[in-house]
Formats: sequence, structure tokens, C-alpha cells
Amino acid sequence: MSRLTASDRLRRILAMVPWIVERDGPTVDEICQRFDVTRPQLLEDLEVLFMVGIYPYTPDELIDVRIEDDRVWIDLADFFRRPLRLSHAQGLALVAAGSSLLAVQGADESGPLARGLAKLAAALGVNPDDVVEVHLGPAETRTLALLTEAALAGHRVEIDYYGYGRDERSRRIIEPHRVYADSGQWYVAAYCLRAEGDRVFRLDRISEARRLEERFEVVAEPLQLGVFRPEEKDPRVELDLEPGARWVIEQYPCESVVELGGGRIRVTLAVSARPWLERLLLRLGRDANLVSCTGDQALLGARREAAQRILDRYENRYAEPA
Amino acid sequence: MSKLERLLNLTAALLDSARPLTAAEIHQRVPGYPEGGASFHRAFERDKEDLREMGIPLELRPVEWTDPPRDGYLIPKEEYYLPELDLERDELAALHLALSAVRLDGIHGLEAMWKLGGTPEYEGGLPVTALAAIPADDNLVQLFAAVVERRQTSFVYHDEERSVHPYRIDYRKGRWYLTGFDMLRDAVRNFRVDRIEGKVTTAEPGGFTKPESAPGLELEPWVAGGESEIIAVLSVDHDQALSAVHHVGTEAVSRELPDGSVVLELPVRNRDAFRSFALTFLEHAEVVGPRELRDDLVRWLEDLAR
Repeated sequence: MSRLTASDRLRRILAMVPWIVERDGPTVDEICQRFDVTRPQLLEDLEVLFMVGIYPYTPDELIDVRIEDDRVWIDLADFFRRPLRLSHAQGLALVAAGSSLLAVQGADESGPLARGLAKLAAALGVNPDDVVEVHLGPAETRTLALLTEAALAGHRVEIDYYGYGRDERSRRIIEPHRVYADSGQWYVAAYCLRAEGDRVFRLDRISEARRLEERFEVVAEPLQLGVFRPEEKDPRVELDLEPGARWVIEQYPCESVVELGGGRIRVTLAVSARPWLERLLLRLGRDANLVSCTGDQALLGARREAAQRILDRYENRYAEPA
Repeated sequence: MSKLERLLNLTAALLDSARPLTAAEIHQRVPGYPEGGASFHRAFERDKEDLREMGIPLELRPVEWTDPPRDGYLIPKEEYYLPELDLERDELAALHLALSAVRLDGIHGLEAMWKLGGTPEYEGGLPVTALAAIPADDNLVQLFAAVVERRQTSFVYHDEERSVHPYRIDYRKGRWYLTGFDMLRDAVRNFRVDRIEGKVTTAEPGGFTKPESAPGLELEPWVAGGESEIIAVLSVDHDQALSAVHHVGTEAVSRELPDGSVVLELPVRNRDAFRSFALTFLEHAEVVGPRELRDDLVRWLEDLAR
């Protein structure tokens, strides 16, 4: 353990003293556990408290510390009757952490976290929903809890997953290693038995998750994978983009960007799955022009064919009467 | 005499005293300072720095009835003491678990737990892992403080000096945003906190009144536009329904059908952005109405299908 500075110890003592004062002789072990302190360190801190008080430091003005049968009593510390209030940074850390978990769909709005947060906010003089809102990403509390617990305990999980890139649904068994939020989405990094490799799944695309009894060995330092890694074997497309479509280079990993003049550019993109390219081309419309493909010539018709498939739906179904 | 002991006695003296204590009185009353005036002042300066860094409100105020007038030091009790929170055991545990799961970069949450009554014990160890780390910096903490204390805030944004009544901060899609009344634009605006240049500065607390209903942060591109509002009705098939509802929120769901599909009603103020959104579902969704939006989408597709 690294050597604590005087102000590190002061921070702890100022919080610990009021807690002990309020109680009737908590045990040394209990104090150590609550305030993350070792027994020798705690005894050393209590030793210092014997010498603390107010002018003129007569015995009745000194803090009274008693240790008997491994229990601790503190008296005559009226000036330390309450802990120092939370700093703004600490208030923010608590409110942000609490708010982020309450924002998950299906969170218990009258549960202990919501109640604790409301009391905390009242002490800060704010209404928590009114000042800070933290959205880590869309997910359901049930799925989030199930996967987190399975990752901790090493249970396999069966999931019903909608793969967006490939636009298909599948049922898979995974060994969840780590659940995390990043840039507005929740993910679970897992070993996928079907793919026989490590994969990352988005929680909002898991429509059903079921914990299985089968176990796996929990990985100590699970890998955090990137979301999209282009592979050598993926087909490539060259697109000419009008100035209005330049945002593509910020949003997607382009393998090359050539200026064509007048704000137009030619970019090369790896295509992991055809539906991904279809969406991009449909959205860009005439602002994009597919110039060439390598690896899969069928991609040349991606935009036209996808547009036709959607139009078929509009012609075949009855719409709202005008 | 240890420095810790001196800092504890200094804090006790300044909290206990009914009036500000002059530096000379502190030198005389608090044990552990060096004898000489110059070395006392050096040590006292460092101690003040340490206390302030911990967030202890140390104030300099005039001492009454002194001639010539002198200033003295005091820790105002009402600013030092944490109000009574009356947290139940399970509430404390829930806050601790939240703090362990979601961390703010560079902010040490453990001391906050100590102040609230220490970390509770769990059978079989802490039942959570770290789920997310949220970026945070000094400006963010300042903005939070400014929102809480209603302090007018100034900063440089897009090369302009902005002065804002800060209403709220929100974390969305991996970024922090500030919403507030922008004096320069004379309207409510959203600011990306990571795009604020340099440090924010704040004025006195209670510098403005927050309106009853301040508009929130709107990031969905089809809502954020400036066109006249129209309510789009979008039907999404079973397989994509879940992620669509996650995206737009349950309040947008107007009907759930037996086949698992959902009908969404979305306010649209940017028609191009709405079309882009509808197209991400490929043939698994349909713009049911109004006619204007449906026809626009069909025209767009007919052009691309040629």
C-alpha cells in the first residue's frame, strides 16, 4: 500500500469520526471495512485523535477516544459532528452514476437507488432529473442485469440476436466476458459458440436472453473489442461523394479519400455485409455514386435492388386511407 | 507533532470559533507551527492550500472591533457540514454499487462514500463490475456547480465569448452537453462541453431564475430541424421493433400488433433526416402516413430504382 499523505488521512478521519461518534462502540473490523482502512492504519489515526481538540487543550477540550474489547467510542468531538459536505465533483459523480443506471429501461423508479439519489439531490438542493441526465445507451434493466451477473458468475447465456449489418436474426449461445457502455451504446463482449470466436453484441439488439446452467471459466482480464474491424477478405467499394455527403468520412473508416475538386471526394470503404452498404446508399441517394467494386461485383446493383425491394412493400400493402 | 495533527487542530479551531481568527491567533492557538513569523506564514499558507483543495470552505472575513481593521479566518459551519441525509442501508448500498459500476474520469468516488457513511459490506464480494467510464474534466464539474447554484457562466465556443444561464447538463452518445440560455443568441442553446475552449468562469450563485419548463436536449436529427412539425407514423416489423423502440423511446409507440410489429408516432421537423431514419430499416418498415412523407419516400426510392 502506498504511503498516504496527511491530507489523504485527514479526508478519511473527517468522515470517519462523525460516523463513530453517532454509534455505540462499533468494532475495529467494522470501521476498517467501511472506510477501507487497515487495522494498524486505523489505530494510528485514532492515536492522533487523542491529541486533537480546541484551545486551551485541557482534557475537557480534547477529543475523547476509548478502545475497549476491540470496540471504539469517540466523544467530545462536537466540531466534527457531521462530515464535510460533498464537493461538486463528488456530487456530480454520485448523481451521474445513479442517473445513468436509472435511465436504463425498466429500472425500479421507487427502488433503493432512486430513493437514495432523491435524498442526495435534496441535500444538494436540486431535483436530480432537472440538472443532470446520463444516457449510457438503450438497454433493458433485465438484460443488463442478467448479462452482468452471468459474466461475474461464469454462466453461459442463450440470446436471440438481431445482427444489424447482415440484417438477420439468430439464436446464439455466448460466454459473456464483460458488459460495458461506450459512445451511447451498451455492449457485451463474449465468446460466441456459433462463431467460434470473440464477438461484441449490442444490448439493444438482444431481444431475449436466457441464463443457462452450463458454466465457463471467468476470464480475469477480458478483452474489449472494437465494434467494426474490416477484414482482408471483405469486398471493397469506391464511392464518389457530392459535398453534401462528406460526413461519410467522419462516420465510417474510409481506407482512402481522394479530393476530386469542388468539394467532391472519392472514398474506398470495406463492406462487411451487403445490407450495411444498401442502407448507406439509400440514405445518400444521388449524393453518392458507386464507381467500382472489388471482391463482389453483385454489390454494383445494391442501391437499385434495395430500392426496388422496399418499393414492392409499398405497392403490395394497403396504406392509411388518404 | 505531525502535520496531520496540526491540520486536524486547525480545522477544529476554525470550525469551533464563533468569530474569525487572525493569523496571529491561529499561530498562538494551534500547536505544531514553527516559531518564527516567516516560517509560520509559509507553513500556514500550505495548510490553507491543503484544506481548500479538500473542499473545506475556508473564508477570510473582517474581525469586528479591531483597530486597525484586521481580517481573520473562519470555516462557516453551514457550509462545512453535510446536511443529514438519513440514507437507509439499502440506499447507501445502491449508491455505492452505482458509483462502482459507472465512474467519472478523474473523480475519486470513494471519499464521497466515506462522507455518506462508508462502504457497506456485501456477502461474497462486490456484486458489480465496472460498466462504464464517463469522461469528466474540470470544466464539467464547474458547469455542474453552475447549474446547481445558478451561476451565470462564460466561456469561449466557436471562437466567440458566450455568456450563458446554465439550465442542465446531459450525457448522450458518449458526450456531455450543456443546455442553457445564451445571452448572445437570446435563446436556449445546446453546447458540446468538449468543444468549449479553455476554462469556463462562473459568476455569483443565484444569478438567474430557471424557467419552469426549460426545453431539453434534442439530438434526434429528424426532430432537431427547423421545419414545420408533422407527426410521422412509421410501422416497424417484429425483428427490428425492439431496437427501433429502444432508439426512439417507448413513449413514441402508438400500437403494438399481435405479429410483434410496432407503430411509432414521431414528431418530424426535418423531413430529409426522417427519410434517412426510415430507410435504415430497409424493407422492414413502412411510412404509413401522413401522405406527404409517404409520397416523398416513394419518390426518392423510385428515382434510385431506375
